[in-house]
Amino acid sequence: MRPQLSRTLALGALAVTAVLTIDGVMHVLAAQTPFGGQRPPMNEQAGGVIGWLLAKQSEFYREMSSTIRAAKTDGSAVWALLAISFAYGIFHAAGPGHGKAVISSYLVANRETARRGIALAFVSAMLQSLVAVLIVAIGAWLLNITAKTMCGAEKVIAIASYGLIAAFGARLVWTKGANFIRALQVHPPVPALALASVSASHSHAGHDHTGHDHAGHDHTGHDHVHHQHSHFDAHHDHSHDDHGHAHNHSGHVHDEHCGHSHGPLPSELAGPGGWRRGLGAIFAVGLRPCSGAILVLVFALAQGLFWAGIAATFAMGLGTAITVAAIAVLAVSAGGIARRLSGASDGSGALIMRGIEFAAAGLVLLFGVGLLTGYLFAEPLTCLQSIL
Amino acid sequence: MRPMTWRLTGWLTLVMLAMLGVTAAQAHPHVWITSTSELMYAPDGSITGVRHAWTFDDMFSTYALQGIESKKKGVYTHEELASLAQTNVESLKEFGFFTFAKADGKKQKFEEPVDYFLEYKGGFLVLHFTLPLKTPVKPKVLALEVFDPTFFVDFKLADKDPIRLVGAPEACKFEFQRPNDGAASAQALGEQNFTDGGNVNFGAMFANKITVTCP
Repeated sequence: MRPQLSRTLALGALAVTAVLTIDGVMHVLAAQTPFGGQRPPMNEQAGGVIGWLLAKQSEFYREMSSTIRAAKTDGSAVWALLAISFAYGIFHAAGPGHGKAVISSYLVANRETARRGIALAFVSAMLQSLVAVLIVAIGAWLLNITAKTMCGAEKVIAIASYGLIAAFGARLVWTKGANFIRALQVHPPVPALALASVSASHSHAGHDHTGHDHAGHDHTGHDHVHHQHSHFDAHHDHSHDDHGHAHNHSGHVHDEHCGHSHGPLPSELAGPGGWRRGLGAIFAVGLRPCSGAILVLVFALAQGLFWAGIAATFAMGLGTAITVAAIAVLAVSAGGIARRLSGASDGSGALIMRGIEFAAAGLVLLFGVGLLTGYLFAEPLTCLQSIL
Repeated sequence: MRPMTWRLTGWLTLVMLAMLGVTAAQAHPHVWITSTSELMYAPDGSITGVRHAWTFDDMFSTYALQGIESKKKGVYTHEELASLAQTNVESLKEFGFFTFAKADGKKQKFEEPVDYFLEYKGGFLVLHFTLPLKTPVKPKVLALEVFDPTFFVDFKLADKDPIRLVGAPEACKFEFQRPNDGAASAQALGEQNFTDGGNVNFGAMFANKITVTCP
């Protein structure tokens, strides 16, 4: 990423976070000041950015049902439905359960590019839409099962998805933890020692990961080692944000130190074909359908307009993807800035980066375990609170 | 720590805050309920319970009806909806039936709901149920709130006659505040702070507040 571009991104991200943070703090303050007598009365249901987000979401959501009804007699209403669904997706994805946090952490942990982050966001969102359509098509349309039974299926899928996220996170923690410990050992870094330990890790990783595991996990682990390797090797010119560059380096290094590696060639990992390695993340995140989409689909089906519901679901997915992609880019650029800043410092930079990646990997694991146990970010959307 | 590390820490903190910040935006309603409530009085003038009639929005109504068999298409009898009503009542228990009562400032407890059934009217499901008070009370001021603290369900008092006092002594008067009334939300927010000491009850801003005074 060019410095100017990343700087612009950073500033933008900073502005967004600042606004959100201030807004959040204001909310807390407004709600928590017991002294000071009269609070200014709120004119809206809830003020500020969050209130506005809330209002918008509710508005779009409510309009969906009336638009589907309208589409029964007026075909052109479908366009309005698509637009509303798209907008709803954009606003709604701000909440958890859309893989935003998982994808962002994964990207930071694995030092992925913004482009890959966007691709991951889109593919997982489309998968989410597809799963929702399949559940309703099979469950409601073909089998005519009750909402309660359908909810059971949803829950199984959700648990599978959370389990995958946790497994994925554990895997990341394992690799990143090993790297972090290695970085700790070589601190203060002695180039020769660093190189030696890294090439050892490389061979180990290559040996360890080939063949038996899932392709997604396998490539993830492996890929990281390549990155890390290039990082250490190119320690003096610090241009790791540039994906292509890093790959050239690892290719170069490969010949010199790692002839015995059995992993895929760097060229296989780069470029459009290499996104295979994000497959684990895509499946983990995209498996769980959005309950809102299922509701819309069931409603559309009951109105005899299932196809309109399907179109709306994918429009919603597209909106979701845009929000998740934006946040992923924000996370990636934050990671890039961290890398640049830590690169500016002499030896401890590598250690800090390893630490950040380790922490990000830990977050993925935390999200997975948290979602699985339901303590963190309890998913309130599960089957509309199990049919109120 | 060196300035660089500080900046770095600051950055990551900001990103985390952004994630948490937008997380709060998740609390938005997915189910809309238009409610009417009756306060039931015993002959001696004490309040025995609350009888709700909650009309669900059309999208939720359709979703809940998915897969429910009926003899006549588009017409559901109370019997055909009995199992769904059972599910409703069971799942609502977890949320304390979204009904919060205070008699002269003292929190009241409710029994399990009785006389519950669902009716299907013009594309909407209406849930009827009675919440008996554990012990009937005869307070000067009864405050009744109907809301979802998590704001997953958006409660709205019906436009017409949302509150009725059934068998109440003549001197009893009631008033109610809707959440979109600015004063009401500020007040609800304030009281919630004193009672719960936090802003966890986000949905309190959207509470429907009913006050009955009997001199």
